[in-house]
Amino acid sequence: MDVTPPAEVVERRINARQAYRSDLKPVWCPGCGDYSVLTALFAALAELQIPPHQIALISGIGCSSRLPGYAATYGLNTIHGRPIPVATGLKSARPDLTVIAMAGDGDALSIGGGHFPHAARRNIGMAYFVMDNNVYGLTKGQTSPTTPTGEQTATSLYGWPEDPANPLGLALAYGVSFVAQGVAGDVKGLARLMVEAIQWPGFAFIEILSPCVTWRGKEQYDVIRDRARPIPPEHDVTDLAAAFRYAHDPEHLYVGVHYRQRKPTFQERVTALQQKAAAKGAGNFDRYLAKFRA
Amino acid sequence: MSTSHTIDFAALTLQDALDLGILIEEDARERYGEFVDQLEAHYTEEAAAFFRNMVRNEGKHRDWLTKRRTSLFGAAPSRVDASMLVEIEAPEFSEADIFMTLRQALDVALKAEVRAYRFFADALKHVRDPQVRELFTELRDEEVEHQQMVQREIDKLPPGPEPDTRGQADEPVGH
Repeated sequence: MDVTPPAEVVERRINARQAYRSDLKPVWCPGCGDYSVLTALFAALAELQIPPHQIALISGIGCSSRLPGYAATYGLNTIHGRPIPVATGLKSARPDLTVIAMAGDGDALSIGGGHFPHAARRNIGMAYFVMDNNVYGLTKGQTSPTTPTGEQTATSLYGWPEDPANPLGLALAYGVSFVAQGVAGDVKGLARLMVEAIQWPGFAFIEILSPCVTWRGKEQYDVIRDRARPIPPEHDVTDLAAAFRYAHDPEHLYVGVHYRQRKPTFQERVTALQQKAAAKGAGNFDRYLAKFRA
Repeated sequence: MSTSHTIDFAALTLQDALDLGILIEEDARERYGEFVDQLEAHYTEEAAAFFRNMVRNEGKHRDWLTKRRTSLFGAAPSRVDASMLVEIEAPEFSEADIFMTLRQALDVALKAEVRAYRFFADALKHVRDPQVRELFTELRDEEVEHQQMVQREIDKLPPGPEPDTRGQADEPVGH
């Protein structure tokens, strides 16, 4: 039997994830949770078999927002807190693309916090992955909106006096149609959540607990491991009140889908309006403008 | 056949098993390569050099399995999918550390080899095909050899406690 050279065969069986990897090597700190997020994302995209040229990754600023550079898809590293507006514009103009917005906790909940409820109420058809490390890592460890109370950081040397924001609780309150939580240490589990979020018809949010080993230490992995629990299989994902209870559980960090409720997407509503307008036929714009003449 | 969520070991054919083995080795090779990049970027050369060696080893195992697969099944399309197949023999990302010593790097590799051994040992409980059983037994036993190889390297290190360098990046202090 003819023996094909190994390299050629390996190439054919090449890990499907590689198709999404760019030539740029990540410069995150060794041990950073974002490596797992990147690997999970590639696994999810490979699982869904979405061609790289049909994907756009839109990020803000911060360690996690470097991610689009490491992917061989379209991508844009926008300005601080603005991945949602840019992704919204892109998805509106190119609904055929798979648009994934990504941010860190500061980007998503502080600088860009005002964009989150509007993407939710519009139900834009895109996934939004927030890599939450509870700190501004890139700028050397200042407190962020999710820094736990009492935490010692570069800007809270004697402990942080504020309560942290609850990203899941906020997403549920804003009316996000798909809300989930994943952990960076579980690449496989996170990839599965990402598959579901990317396929979701509407705005899909995943809070990803992604440790910052430099500014929060390796212990952040242990804290997450100790507190993380799979969301019970009997949880009804359409029960908003139950989802709130899991999101605000004082002891455990529930991993999995918290809430999922189908509602019309922005694109579906716009299409319906376009059809309604077309059915009425051509209007008279001059007559309309005449209403405003003095 | 999809390996996306669970692997149905009872249904594995020899071709599937070889393809699975290739992907496991490739996943580990890729991860060690990422560790090399991470540690080289932070001038942690001793640990990076060891991981570079692991890249070569995992690559050798992958090529050996690939040769075997090709000689038996030629270019028949693979039925296994690597997209969700992660961290069977590859160390977890969280195990890399900016100030990693050689001993710590060896410990990470040893842990990964033990995990791979367990994977094949557990899989063997469900495998039905005698050829797959033979292959997985061989792969499981090889993991023992790999563990011994890493242990020999650990034993060569000077005795005595090492400073715990993990998580020693700048830490804020209040006083």
